[in-house]
Amino acid sequence: MYQDTRKGPKRGVSLYSYSGEFGFEKNLEDCFEDIYDMGAHGIEILANTHIENYPYPTDAWVDNWFRLLDKYDLVPVEYGHWVDSRVLQDRYLTTEEAAEFLERDLRLAHRLGFRILRTKMPVITDTLEPVENWKDIIRAVLPLAERLGLTMCPEIHIPTNLNSKMVREYVDFIKETGTTSFALNIDFSVFRTGYAEGEFRSPGFVENKPEDIIPLLPYVACCHAKFFHVNDEFEETMVPYKEILHILAEHGWNGYLLSEYEGADKYEPGYCVGDTLRRHHIMMKRILGD
Amino acid sequence: MEREVIQSVGFRNIKENGEIVGFQLKIRQPYYRGVFLSQIKPGNLMVDGELFTKDQIIWKVNGEEYTAEDMRKDRYTHWHPMEPATLIIKKAGGLSQGYHDLEYGFCSTHSYMPPMMEDLSDPTKEEVIYMPEFGHNLHRRRLLIV
Repeated sequence: MYQDTRKGPKRGVSLYSYSGEFGFEKNLEDCFEDIYDMGAHGIEILANTHIENYPYPTDAWVDNWFRLLDKYDLVPVEYGHWVDSRVLQDRYLTTEEAAEFLERDLRLAHRLGFRILRTKMPVITDTLEPVENWKDIIRAVLPLAERLGLTMCPEIHIPTNLNSKMVREYVDFIKETGTTSFALNIDFSVFRTGYAEGEFRSPGFVENKPEDIIPLLPYVACCHAKFFHVNDEFEETMVPYKEILHILAEHGWNGYLLSEYEGADKYEPGYCVGDTLRRHHIMMKRILGD
Repeated sequence: MEREVIQSVGFRNIKENGEIVGFQLKIRQPYYRGVFLSQIKPGNLMVDGELFTKDQIIWKVNGEEYTAEDMRKDRYTHWHPMEPATLIIKKAGGLSQGYHDLEYGFCSTHSYMPPMMEDLSDPTKEEVIYMPEFGHNLHRRRLLIV
């Protein structure tokens, strides 16, 4: 399998970006080739979306998965999955049931060559606080994750602030357990400063300054390079990318920036997210100098 | 697969032992990630104004048939977004030749969204808050029976 040996922040793409086109204009190989065109090497998939017969793909599908990774010089960086504690509508899963749910994904992520998982926590409030037993669930699967060399990451996303109690609790958990199998995925929406006219703003959200990420860097396994609007000069107008990427590079952060486009316009028929992603990659390539 | 949730392919009467015993149609997920059957809230089907409730509709997913009651309890069977499901409805004589106005409603629960969103979602009604990523609850299409 291809190895991206460059140090520092590296470019990648989350296949979630293609959610308006996947299954219609684009299949898995089309997405891979598009990312190859951009000179990016990291990918994130969504398990429930991009794996045929999830959670039990056939051996033939897995063989083809590795063939495609080789063909397009791609590194399986992050396996996106969900802990659906409310999978039953009349009650929450018990810790044991949720752990069983999670272990199935850990094994599959490992089988597909991933090292990092974006472990989407089930939430119980409008401000996205995780279920009360999240620590018990994660603790129950840490031995398996450690044995398989996997790191689970909750995603820190708007409207959450990097200095919030939620993030502090995640970091405390990492310190308490001393584990390397739990870390953070920082979504750059937390740095968002600009909005289009009339666009929805999360109530109570306070954006972070780029330097707020510095104390968290030892715990950041990868980033969702969220972007909103890259103009014709190939500059993102709503997130201070230059500052953020310079901080990551200067502090020797080593990981992948996974482009994630979630603008609602991508669901409009005829929209080509490949163009949107290429703009973003021109921008990142210029800043990173790769 | 078509972008419309109700697919044109798969709409037909069902014949058993030479007799028409019902009809079927296919639907895709209006949402980008697959869900387990227990996450689905199936709603009503209206055909030319005739109501079929969720308990009169069998879902066929990955070749297996499930009642609404089966689906509520099944947190292991996964419905993939690229695989349309078939809805099977018993109706002696099936649907008549010609056009039919179909309307079907369903939605799903998502543990990563605030629980308030789930409390608000009713598969028999238009969604309270429309988000393109989740699509609509109610889907309509006019299709032909031959």
